[in-house]
Amino acid sequence: MKRVYLGEFEEIVLLIVAVLEGAAYGVNIMHEILDQTGRSVRLNQVHASLQRLEEKGMIVSKMSDPTPERGGRRKRIFSITAYGSTTLRDIQQVRATLWSVVPSNLKSFTA
Amino acid sequence: MNHFQTPPSPPRWATRLLHWYCAPELLEEVQGDMLEEFYFQCRHNSVAAARRDYVRNVLGFMRPFAIKRKSSPSYPILPMNMIGHYFTVALRQVLRHKAFSAINVVGLAIGMTCCMAIFLWVADEKAVDNFHAKGDHLYNIYMTVRSATDVEGVYNTPRRYDSVTHVLIDDAKEAIAEVQGLAFYATGYSMPWGKAETFQAGDKIYKLEGSRASNDFLTMFSYPVIAGDPKTALKDIKGLAISRKMANLFFGSPEEAIGKSIRYENKRDFEITAVFEDLTPQSSRRFEFLANWDAHMMRGGMEWSSNNMEATFLLADGADPDQVAVKLNKLVQPRLDKGLPYTMEIGLQPYRDQYLKSNFADGKPVGGRIEYVRIFSGVAIFILIIACINFMNLATARSVKRAKEVGVRKVIGSPRLYLIGQFFGESLLLSFFALALSLLLLQVLLPVFNTVTGKNLVAPITSIPTWITLISLALITGILAGSYPALFLSSLKPVRVLKGAVQFTQNAIWFRKGLAVFQFGLSILLLIATIVVSQQTAFMQSMNLGYNKENLLYFTIEGELSKYDKFQAFKQKALQLPGVRAIDRSSEAPHAMKFIVDDNDGAAETGEEDNTAIKWEGREKGEMVGFKPTSVGFDFVKLMDLQIVEGRSFSREYATDSADAFLVNEQAVKEMGMKDPIGKWVSAWQKKGHIIGVLKDYNTNSLHERIRPLIVDVKEYEYFGVILVRTEAGKAKEVLAGMEQVYKELNPNYPFSFRFVDEDYNDMYRNEQVMSKLSNAFAILAILVSCLGLLGLIMFSAEQRTREIGIRKALGATVSSIVGLLSQDFVKIVLVSFVLATPIAAYLMHQWLNGFAFKIDLSWWIFGIAGIAALLVALVTISFQAIQSARANPVESLRSE
Repeated sequence: MKRVYLGEFEEIVLLIVAVLEGAAYGVNIMHEILDQTGRSVRLNQVHASLQRLEEKGMIVSKMSDPTPERGGRRKRIFSITAYGSTTLRDIQQVRATLWSVVPSNLKSFTA
Repeated sequence: MNHFQTPPSPPRWATRLLHWYCAPELLEEVQGDMLEEFYFQCRHNSVAAARRDYVRNVLGFMRPFAIKRKSSPSYPILPMNMIGHYFTVALRQVLRHKAFSAINVVGLAIGMTCCMAIFLWVADEKAVDNFHAKGDHLYNIYMTVRSATDVEGVYNTPRRYDSVTHVLIDDAKEAIAEVQGLAFYATGYSMPWGKAETFQAGDKIYKLEGSRASNDFLTMFSYPVIAGDPKTALKDIKGLAISRKMANLFFGSPEEAIGKSIRYENKRDFEITAVFEDLTPQSSRRFEFLANWDAHMMRGGMEWSSNNMEATFLLADGADPDQVAVKLNKLVQPRLDKGLPYTMEIGLQPYRDQYLKSNFADGKPVGGRIEYVRIFSGVAIFILIIACINFMNLATARSVKRAKEVGVRKVIGSPRLYLIGQFFGESLLLSFFALALSLLLLQVLLPVFNTVTGKNLVAPITSIPTWITLISLALITGILAGSYPALFLSSLKPVRVLKGAVQFTQNAIWFRKGLAVFQFGLSILLLIATIVVSQQTAFMQSMNLGYNKENLLYFTIEGELSKYDKFQAFKQKALQLPGVRAIDRSSEAPHAMKFIVDDNDGAAETGEEDNTAIKWEGREKGEMVGFKPTSVGFDFVKLMDLQIVEGRSFSREYATDSADAFLVNEQAVKEMGMKDPIGKWVSAWQKKGHIIGVLKDYNTNSLHERIRPLIVDVKEYEYFGVILVRTEAGKAKEVLAGMEQVYKELNPNYPFSFRFVDEDYNDMYRNEQVMSKLSNAFAILAILVSCLGLLGLIMFSAEQRTREIGIRKALGATVSSIVGLLSQDFVKIVLVSFVLATPIAAYLMHQWLNGFAFKIDLSWWIFGIAGIAALLVALVTISFQAIQSARANPVESLRSE
C-alpha cells in the first residue's frame, strides 16, 4: 500500500475540514479545534497546515462571498477532496487493524 | 454617554506590518481571519486582550509560506541544474579558442607565479626576528643625535664618552618600573661582516664570528638552548655560550662541550656554559658564540674590540614604549657629559621592526629593507594586474561574438544574474587552470629565485593556510579578470544584439585601448627601472674608487704578528713568494673604514677647554670636522695605487716621517678650509705633525656614503689592524698557498684566514645586486605578459577584419601595406604608454637614486632605449600575427562569408 504521510496536526485539521463541511475556513477551524480537542492553536499554524494539505491535494479551496464581520473580506472555504477522505479512511483502517491485534489487557483497560 | 462609540480596532502598525510582508495572494484571507478573530476576542474577552492577540497573530504569520517574495517569478540563487551546462560551455569556449585561452592562462600563470614567489620572499623577510616568544614586549634603543649641521639616527646605547665602558642605562631596570629585563649585545664597529676570532681547544684551532651579550640575553630572546642553563650561562665572567656547530667542531657533541674550557685569542680561557641551536636565517643576528658581557666591558683581560652595543628592553604587559622612552631620556640626560656640541635623544623601536626598518630620517626609523619588500610586492601585483588586463581585454574583444550568445540566452529567459555567474565561472575556470600551471612554474623557478635572492624558500604546499591563500588568489584573479565581460556583456539588450546592431561604442573601444596603454605603461616603467638599477649597480662595481681593489687581499694582524720583528720577518718572507707584488699594513680594511673620530674623542686626556681630538693650523674655535683616521705602513700609498695630488707620500728617506708626517685627502683640506696645506701643522691623538701630501679622494666605504675627510699617518713600530697583500693578476691561489705556510710558521696559534677586498666590496651591494637581477627578471616578464596581451588583441583584430583584408588583397594590396594597416593602432598604444610612463619613471628613479651618494645621471638615452625596446618587442609580436593574416589567401576568407 502506498504510504501517505500526514502529520498528526494535519490529520486533525483535515478531519475538522471534513466535519465543518462548507464552513471550513481559518478562524472557524481554529475554534473548532479548540472545541473538539481542547487544544489551543495559533492562527498561523492552521493556515500553514491548510496550505500544506492543499499542496498535497487533500483539500481544495474557493473564495466565499464577502462578509461584513471581516471588514468586507472574503473567506477561503476549504473542502475535503476524494483523495483526502480516502487518506483519512486509510489511516483509520491502519489504526483499526492495529487495534485488533493489541493485547486484550490493554484493550479492556482502555475500554 | 456617547452613543456612537468608535468600534474597537486592531493596532494600526501591526496591520501595516502585515501588509508589508504578507504575500498579496494570501493577504485577504489572512487579514480576514485575523479581524474575525479580533472581533471574536473583543466580544468574549477585553479589547486589550484582543489587540494583544492580534499583534501575536501578525507576528506569528511571519513565516516562509506567508512572506512576500521580492521578485517573481522566483528562481534559485545558484542554478544547480545549469552549473554542468555552464561548465561544458566554458570548456568548449576554452578549447575552441585555443590561442586566446593559452594567452590568457599563460599570462595569468606568469602573473601568479611572480606573486607567489614574491610573497614567499616577503613572508620570509617579515619572519626575520619574529620568532621570539616575548617579541611583543622587546624593544631596542635607538638614538637620535642632532648637531648643528647633522641629524643622525643610530642603534646604539648612550655611553659616557670619557670612559667607553660606562653605559648610561645599565640601571634602567631598577629605575623604571615598566622595564622588566635589559639585555646588551655588542655589535662591533666592523660588523656586519664581522671579525672572526680565534678559539682553541686541544689541537683544534678555528676562527669564528660571535659577540658578547649580557646575562638576560638568552632568557629574553628565544634562541633555543639545547644544553646548559640559559638563565645562568652568561652570568660568570668566564661563561661562553656556543652554537651546536661550534660545539661539534671542537668537542664532537653539544653535551660533551658543557663545562669544557676553550682558549680565546690565545689570551684567555672561557668555560662553555651553554650550547644553543644553530641560528636559522630567521634571525638577523649572526653569532657562533656569545661571551659574557663583563668580559667584553673589561678592557684589560680580553681584547676589547667593539664599543657599539645594542640594548634591548623587555617591557611589562601593556607598557607604553613612548612613555618608557620619555623616562629613559629623563634618566640619561643628566648623566651626559656637559657641553656637548650635540643633543641626544632616545627612542624605542620594537625589536622585530629593526631588521626591516633601519634607515633613519630625521631621527625616526623609517625605511630600510621594508622598501624592497614594498617595491617587490608592488611589482608582483603590477604583473598580476597586467595579466588580468590581458584577460579583460581579450574577453572584451571577443564579446562581439559572445554577444549573440548572450542575446539568445536572454531571449530564452536567462536572468542577468545567471549570465554574470556564467562569465565569472569561465574566468574562474581559466584562473584555476592558471593556478595549476603557476604551481608547476613555481616549482621549476624557485631554485633560481633562491639563488638570486640568497634565500632558501620552499613552497609550503602542504599547509592549509597556503591553499586558502592560493585559492583566494585564484578567486580574486578570476573575479577581477572576469568583471568586465561579466558586467558588460550581461547588460546587453537582446533585441539589439540579435538584430546584429552591436557595434562597440566608442567608450568600450577607449576602455580597451586604455587598458592596453596602462599595461604597456607599467611594462615600460619596469623596463626603465631595470635599466637604471642595473646601470647603477654596474656603475658602483666599476666605479673608479680611487684605489685598485683587484687582486687585493687582507687579513687581521693578531698573535705574534703584532710584534715588530715577527711582522718584518713575515713581510720579508711573504714578499719573496712568487706572485706577491706588495705587502703593508693599515689600521682598518681600506674599503670598510667604520671608524670616525668623534668631535669629542680624547677629551679626558687633554683636559683642555677646547677638547677636540683633531686640530689644525688656522682652525677656528669650536670648528669641528669628523675625520676618518688611519695609520699605515710606508708602502701603503703605493700598495693601494692611491694618487697624490699635492706634496709627496711617506718615505723612509725622511727620518721625521714616522713622527711628524700626515697625509690628508682633498675632502679634509676642503672641510678644514685650508689653502696651501703642505707644511701646515695638524695634530691628532696628541701627535702633532705636518701635512706632507694631499691624497686624491678615494672611497673608504660603500658608495651610499659620501667621502669623508681622511687623515693618515705612518706608524712603523705599531702593528695592529690588517695586513694588505697585492698579488699579481691570476696568481692569488699560489700566493695564498705559500703565504699560509709562512703564516703557520710565524704565528702558529692562529689559523690563516683572509678575504679579498673586491669580494667584500661586492658584498656591500648585495641588496642592489639582488634588486638588479630581480628587476631584470620582472621587467622581462612584464613585457612578455604585455606582449601576450598585444598578441591576443592583434589576433582578434585580424580575425575581425578578415573580410576587409581579403577584399584589400583581392584588389591588389601588398602584404606590407596590410601589415602596416593592422599594426598602426598598436604602435600608437605603445607610443602613448611610453609618453605617459616616462615622467613617472623619471620621478621614481630619481627618488631611488637619491639613496646613493654616488650615482649615475638619468640621461635621455635610458628612456630612449626602454621606449625603443618596448616598441620593438611589440612590433615583433604584432607582425607575427599581422604577416600571417596578411599572407592568408583571400579566397579562403571571402568564401567563408
